[in-house]
Amino acid sequence: MSSEAGSDGSKPDRSGTEWGDRARAGLARLVEASAFERALISLAALVLSIAIGALVILAAGRTATCETAATTYFGYGFCYDPFRVYDRLFLGALGNPINPLFDPLHGNFAAPFTEGWTPFNDRLAYTLTETTVLVLTGLSVAVAFKAGIFNIGTQGQMVIGGLASTLVMLALVPVFTGLATVALLPIGIVVGAVFGGLYGAIPGALKAYADANEVITTIMLNFVASSVALYLVREQFKDPDSFSTKTNDLPAGVEFPQLLYAQNTAFSVVALLFVLALVAATYYLLRHTSFGYDLRTSGLQAAAAEYGGVNSARTIVASMTISGALAGIGGTVYVLMYYGYFQPPVPSYGFDGITVAILAGNNPVGVVPAAFLFGVLKSGAISIQTDPNVTIPIQLVGVLRGLIILFVAMPEFFRLVGKRFTDAGRRSREGGSRVADAVRSDGGVAGGETDE
Amino acid sequence: MDRRKFLKGVGVAGVVSLAGCTGGPDESTETDGENQSDQQQGGTGTDTTSGNESESTGTDSTDGGSGDGSDVNVGMVYATGGLGDGSFNDQAQTGLNRAAQDLGVSFNESEPSQVSEFARFQQSFAQSQDPDYDLVSCIGFLQAEALTETAGQYPDQDFMIVDATVDADNVANYLFAEHQGSYLVGQMAGLLTTQEFAAGAGETNPEETTVGFVGGAEGSLIGKFEAGFTAGVKAVDSNIQVLSNYVGGSSPFNDPTAGKAAANSMYNNGADIVYHAAGNTGTGVFNAAKEQGRFAIGVDRDQSVTKPNSADVILASMVKRVDTAVYNSIEAVVNGNFEGGANTTLGLEQEGVKVVYGDQIGGDIPEEVKTQVSDARQQIIDGGIEVPTDPSNV
Repeated sequence: MSSEAGSDGSKPDRSGTEWGDRARAGLARLVEASAFERALISLAALVLSIAIGALVILAAGRTATCETAATTYFGYGFCYDPFRVYDRLFLGALGNPINPLFDPLHGNFAAPFTEGWTPFNDRLAYTLTETTVLVLTGLSVAVAFKAGIFNIGTQGQMVIGGLASTLVMLALVPVFTGLATVALLPIGIVVGAVFGGLYGAIPGALKAYADANEVITTIMLNFVASSVALYLVREQFKDPDSFSTKTNDLPAGVEFPQLLYAQNTAFSVVALLFVLALVAATYYLLRHTSFGYDLRTSGLQAAAAEYGGVNSARTIVASMTISGALAGIGGTVYVLMYYGYFQPPVPSYGFDGITVAILAGNNPVGVVPAAFLFGVLKSGAISIQTDPNVTIPIQLVGVLRGLIILFVAMPEFFRLVGKRFTDAGRRSREGGSRVADAVRSDGGVAGGETDE
Repeated sequence: MDRRKFLKGVGVAGVVSLAGCTGGPDESTETDGENQSDQQQGGTGTDTTSGNESESTGTDSTDGGSGDGSDVNVGMVYATGGLGDGSFNDQAQTGLNRAAQDLGVSFNESEPSQVSEFARFQQSFAQSQDPDYDLVSCIGFLQAEALTETAGQYPDQDFMIVDATVDADNVANYLFAEHQGSYLVGQMAGLLTTQEFAAGAGETNPEETTVGFVGGAEGSLIGKFEAGFTAGVKAVDSNIQVLSNYVGGSSPFNDPTAGKAAANSMYNNGADIVYHAAGNTGTGVFNAAKEQGRFAIGVDRDQSVTKPNSADVILASMVKRVDTAVYNSIEAVVNGNFEGGANTTLGLEQEGVKVVYGDQIGGDIPEEVKTQVSDARQQIIDGGIEVPTDPSNV
């Protein structure tokens, strides 16, 4: 329907309209894309970003100077080899699973996997550690998005949750001695969720009852959170024996049990499984409960949802609380996996979570692969830097990461935009009954993920 | 169609411009030559170039090692500010480059962006088999926590850390007596604020005897700078007022705006000279000094050279030879006398810290001031003056 309006209704002699119609038709096509098509689009975007990144590497390699060429194409030497860089970026993050002798293009059929490679290597462990935290922050942003709220405050909620849980656990250490220290872990997670949730509820309540723009309030509350954390740790709870501004160490028993992976890695499979369980719970909450139904209809068309009997103010506060609670758990998991104590400033997982959520199209399940891509890029940047055979400025690696994220996120971004401006999107926004149709039509059915 | 023509044009222009680039390996001897001389200047450690520009081009960094015989490999983990900060990390790189040139070691550098990444970087170097790193250099006290764990996990790997003490048999600790160097610049500031003095773009206010100190983040390390500085000022005249401010915030050592605001309020309150120990935040201090026509004192490197735009207000710099620490530790590994578990403090005596007068206006400082400063230096070395390390004890 929308594509008809796009191509047939246009007049080819007026190029301006033609372009506009084409753009609209393209957007409509994106909005109507199925889950499988979207996965294909993301994959194509990934390949395209790598191709363009390779050109950037080559161009930078020509403008730079070096003693020996890293690679030679068409008789020209280049200082940086794009293949080696991307090899490090992706395979380095996985711990070099591919045997260098395995080269089917040139007729070498050695064993495809490097000898001695296991999925339980340190590099993959770091990748998955990053992924675990990013899943939580991505999920936090996605839940708020679903309710039509742009929660930029995930970072602040994460800081408050992580700090509160650390302080409470530290305070309870004398109470839970011996074997009972195991009990501190679940307590910490609950405390992180409660404080993160409360901190998320503030901008939620401000939006619901005072009509304050959540984008502004959450940004501001991020500053409040990081400053409060810095003050409290520096002035009140500083570890007196340390050079750094950090809290006292949590006792050794308070951590996620480490299975399968080496002790020196920060990663815990238990933490990842816990987080995946939260993903499943969030999915269930959004898709199969009446609260989730209210939340999603509010996100699609608030006025219609209210007309249909949804208490919109309460839904806003509740969704922000859930979003904040997930971020707070993220802060706790970050503290427990990386440090075993709280140290400001917390890296920008909350802001990365916004991109993760957009990459995932705000689908709770999609957050997992999106966060994994982020984890690979972060971990791969480290393997590039620590590999003596790859010479490339770290800033250029940042450019490559940015290109990949930009390209993969853009189709989803245009899809979100497209919903507002095309017929395909408008259909799902007109009238309460239409909203109900839209929600029902993709209620858990594979391939029907077309809501915001 | 127009669009196709445009695309073709872009494509052709891109190819032409790519071909026209005078970079790349082995071709244009001119640029190669330039680059090598840059490297040499960066490596001599004499601060005669405005270091960052030649160093931050990133073309020559990763595989150093002009390789004459020595097969020692060094893994370098910089502090979070990264290269190009014009002080701390660049100073460390100077030492590394010098070691590569003099001792022929190979090295691999890395620039973590978060404190939480330190452990991963340290482990990567410690784990590496090809090459097997003989020494892993860790720059900055923020790496201490991570290194405590990493050093325990890799007992056969040698590490060195600058600015902190890690209690392990395989870690060489390098500390600096920043308070001693700060005492000397404090003395100089105290002597100058009590007299009428004008040089370059600045002058003192003879009616006020006030100086200032801008620190990055509060803590025992930056406290040493403040304590030494205040003690040096008070040694001249205990009535001189020392204003002190810590920038704090989320990036205390990379916040020139906050540094400028802090320094401006000090200058407005009558301060003649402001000393900073705040990394890149200090750039703001220099800008404030220029605008107000007052003076500033640099830190870590000779900042009248690394920040040439402010050379007309920088009286002196309290230089901290991080490069010496890096070089010495590498030299020890090369010579086979690396001492794990040792604490080395580089003070005035070892020239680990020293006062370098400004490149442009340092010559205008009266000779009797300089004499008193060098007298005080000798007294500290001889033990005649005990410089406090905690600002609350001054």
